[in-house]
Amino acid sequence: MSEDHRKDKAHSRSVAFECDLPEPVEKVWRALTTREIVSEWLLPTDLKPEKGARFTLSEPAKEPIDCEIISIEEQRFIRFGWRDAEARRDGLSSTVTFEIAATESGGTRLTIVHEVRYAARPARAPATACLASNDNAAAGLRLAA
Amino acid sequence: METEILRALADPTRRAVFERLAVGEMSVGALKANFAISQPAISQHLAQLRKAGLVAERRSGRNTYYVAKPDGLDPLLSWLDRYSAFWPQKIERLKTILKGMDQ
Repeated sequence: MSEDHRKDKAHSRSVAFECDLPEPVEKVWRALTTREIVSEWLLPTDLKPEKGARFTLSEPAKEPIDCEIISIEEQRFIRFGWRDAEARRDGLSSTVTFEIAATESGGTRLTIVHEVRYAARPARAPATACLASNDNAAAGLRLAA
Repeated sequence: METEILRALADPTRRAVFERLAVGEMSVGALKANFAISQPAISQHLAQLRKAGLVAERRSGRNTYYVAKPDGLDPLLSWLDRYSAFWPQKIERLKTILKGMDQ
């Protein structure tokens, strides 16, 4: 089952979910990084699994979510900046990290961390203005190890 | 959390009280004069606003003063509420998609 842990830090907050999947790591990695598959389970997207690649996620009847891949390591983790319409309006910046690891039973443990913070720039700043601060946000995650 | 905030602000009088307290601190007596409603009604509204975390109180001698909390409508909190609901749905969808995928 997935769990919801809220963590409060000085300038950022996050929600984290963890779940064990029966499928092996290679297969879960494909589901997390293949455009057509991500479009099916997350949101329609033009995702390209490369560092620095920009893409959007399209929510029905909403403005698209602007994303940019911050870091990616084959079959270990993918982290990207995530800015939806509310984030642009409120001057927030967020990052989503999917981390995967093999379990003893040959399945996969998936951890999703979605961290949000106030962007350094004002709300009307261009979408790219806050991406630099995302690296700091991500530094707090245990993925750094 | 967010539901409680929305409920607290759904009432027009309560919303007006909150907006007045965002300008500056006021006692119940001063609020009563501003809004032309009874003291129990004002107290009731203040209790709701406090419960939602939107208003703080300060006692000084025989008087109690109220003020809007600046972070009461924290966008980070509404963000967390949204994505706390968003991800579990997506994870369930991912599990279904994985079952249907080729090896």
